[in-house]
Amino acid sequence: MPGYFARPARLLKTLLLGTALIHTPALARTVTIALPGDINTLDPDQTNSIGTDLSVLSNLYPALVLRAPDGALVPALATEWHAVDARTWDFTLTPGARFIDGEPIDAGTVQWNVARVLNRSKVTPVASWYAQITDVIALSPTHLRIVTSTPYPALPAQLSMLFLLPPKWSRTHNPAHEASSGGPYIVDQIVPGDHVSMHANPDYFGPKPAFDRAVYRIIPESNTAIYALEAGEVDYIARLPTDQIARINRQGTAIAGAVPSIRSVFIKFNTEKPPFNNRMFRQALNYAIDHRAITDALFDGQALPSACQVLTPDYVGYTPDLAGYPYDPDRARDLIRRSGVDLSRPFEFDIPRGSYLQGEEVGLAVQQMFRAVGVRTTIHLIDFGQYIARYRKAHDLAPLSVLGQAWVTLDADGLLKLFRTGNPYSYWSNPDFDAALDAAAGTIDPARRQSAYATATKIMCAEAPVAFLYIEPATYAYSRRLALRPRGDTWIRAFDMRPAK
Amino acid sequence: MTRFCSTLLHSRAGLAGFVLLAVFVAGAALAPWLHLPDPTAIGLRTRLSPPDWIGFHPLGTDPLGRDVLSRLAFGGRTTLAVALTAVVLGAVLGTAIGIIAGFLGGGIDRVLMRVVDIQLAFPLMMLALLVVAVLGPSIGNVIVVLAVTSWNRYARIIRAQVLSLREREFVLSARAIGASSPWIMVHHILPNVATPALVVATLELARIIVMIAALSFLGLGVQPPDPDWGQMLAEGRLYISSAWWVVTFPGLAIVLTVLGVNLFGDWLRDYLDPKTRSNR
Repeated sequence: MPGYFARPARLLKTLLLGTALIHTPALARTVTIALPGDINTLDPDQTNSIGTDLSVLSNLYPALVLRAPDGALVPALATEWHAVDARTWDFTLTPGARFIDGEPIDAGTVQWNVARVLNRSKVTPVASWYAQITDVIALSPTHLRIVTSTPYPALPAQLSMLFLLPPKWSRTHNPAHEASSGGPYIVDQIVPGDHVSMHANPDYFGPKPAFDRAVYRIIPESNTAIYALEAGEVDYIARLPTDQIARINRQGTAIAGAVPSIRSVFIKFNTEKPPFNNRMFRQALNYAIDHRAITDALFDGQALPSACQVLTPDYVGYTPDLAGYPYDPDRARDLIRRSGVDLSRPFEFDIPRGSYLQGEEVGLAVQQMFRAVGVRTTIHLIDFGQYIARYRKAHDLAPLSVLGQAWVTLDADGLLKLFRTGNPYSYWSNPDFDAALDAAAGTIDPARRQSAYATATKIMCAEAPVAFLYIEPATYAYSRRLALRPRGDTWIRAFDMRPAK
Repeated sequence: MTRFCSTLLHSRAGLAGFVLLAVFVAGAALAPWLHLPDPTAIGLRTRLSPPDWIGFHPLGTDPLGRDVLSRLAFGGRTTLAVALTAVVLGAVLGTAIGIIAGFLGGGIDRVLMRVVDIQLAFPLMMLALLVVAVLGPSIGNVIVVLAVTSWNRYARIIRAQVLSLREREFVLSARAIGASSPWIMVHHILPNVATPALVVATLELARIIVMIAALSFLGLGVQPPDPDWGQMLAEGRLYISSAWWVVTFPGLAIVLTVLGVNLFGDWLRDYLDPKTRSNR
């Protein structure tokens, strides 16, 4: 029984502590942000959900570098960084930075946090992101050196996901349920399932955020979020259906739009299950897809068709001008006939529910396109958790499924590795593709990496382990009192927003 | 039959219920012969067309450009067929258990009634969700789940009827001439509890239609692309502010069918009840 009360009691303590710290300037400016999903944990090492958990936590905990809304990596705790050689990186840190409990934020803090992520006793879901780090050396409190096992050009980008917890505070508190701060904002109140409110941290080492207060309201239902925006209750919403964009802009109370996200959506083939081991059949299904109908009609012209690759133009290693599969149902039928695949029984087709913008509609549209060339499918709408369990744990992916994948370092290395032989996410094996990835991973020379990724992408396009669909649009709408730069990587950070002039 | 018609014509509520129900049942039953467009035919270029009362899509199209009227008719087919099957299954099961428990009494009665108590303590939706989540979503599973969650209502009511019936003279005399218990249950008890069972079944039908819609709304019922009212609500939910017709018509269909069933069920109860019958 004491255990049952422990958490609320501790939470209450945090709240009281937080309330005591509020300084309320006259006419405090507040930004209210609608969060499209609940916050599952306050521990930045136990989550990989950028659009919800990490977005909120990025306001509270400092990072070495940050990804700016325009996609550039900008200094945060680290003022400067460079590669000493292919496997060694040096970072210069801001001197005098402190957490709110007075602990210094220095090279030792980073060292402790990397060790916390990589510890073997309590595996964190993000450990694989940093698995290449072999050594973190504090040369001085403001001088940090990181050594990796293999050349890792995406290290600074990856470190933009590492949020630093105060080591001493973490020993006496549970970071999963309580929050400290060393970042731009300090938490006032956390009401699970409802909202998180915070105020600007006066002692933050970086630039002061434009809003004195920020509130994240959890509103999973997009209609509710749209109404809240139109009623002036929230200032920013994300993930609305594309057909709302024109309507909101016409009404004029808010600004709505879409930018290409960093996530590609495709039909994942389980090439370990016949007949999807048949390359000609997979190619045929690619010819059967009318990309224009999906991007122009279903997404109202707000989505871009994939260029025969899972990378989007934002990624390092993207191959421009790759000729894909044009919509050619006759050719698809012809290839299917020549592939000799038995079409007498329908194939299972899983669609994870609510995971991708209008994903169910895309799945149903694709089902019809496949049916038009004689390939019948049986759709199962399943929960995303159930889908991941099939995908990862059971390793029993349905022959066909709708899947969207992205890699936040915006580097081909991470995303393409998901298709490498032996990767649990792959369900495909091609030695030439693996060799091209290895060639790219062996160097940090941009030109050589680019050419190796071009080779890998071309192989993947020709082999078609997926049916390429489109780049998911990142839709947004925000109140006219706000000024911000829309971004495709789903970060929703209060300190990126400022009042409109 | 003549008396049935004449009393129905005299009850406004009963008649309204009967007409509503008849319209939806007829629409669902005749759907394949009404020359409607294919309910699963996708036309992305004409998605979310507003209702065009005299045109090709009288009730508009859904987010995938499928005809709402056609999906409503074919969806009604699935919804009503599943509901009727589940009600019949539940009624047969519940009536049988009620007769056995009431007539045999003793240990069997106590055990069966405790099972009813246990099941009544479970939230029905919770049980339905659990079973469908474990067995996987399919029409067959939905029917089984709904039948299993509804038998206890019949069992309770039928048992109470049987308790008084088994002390009646015709049962006692049948027993006196040496009739076996099963024979009495089938030939004397069953005909006398058929009426209350029918009344419970009618009212249960309304509840089950709503349950089916709820399960389909959650994606646990009929799997797409086959239409179903609850699923149509779920698919149109995102567009409620921009395309009202996608959710309004299936919503209305559910409301009106349930209303029709309830009105007709109420009237049927009065009609079949000997105490109120003499008044008319």
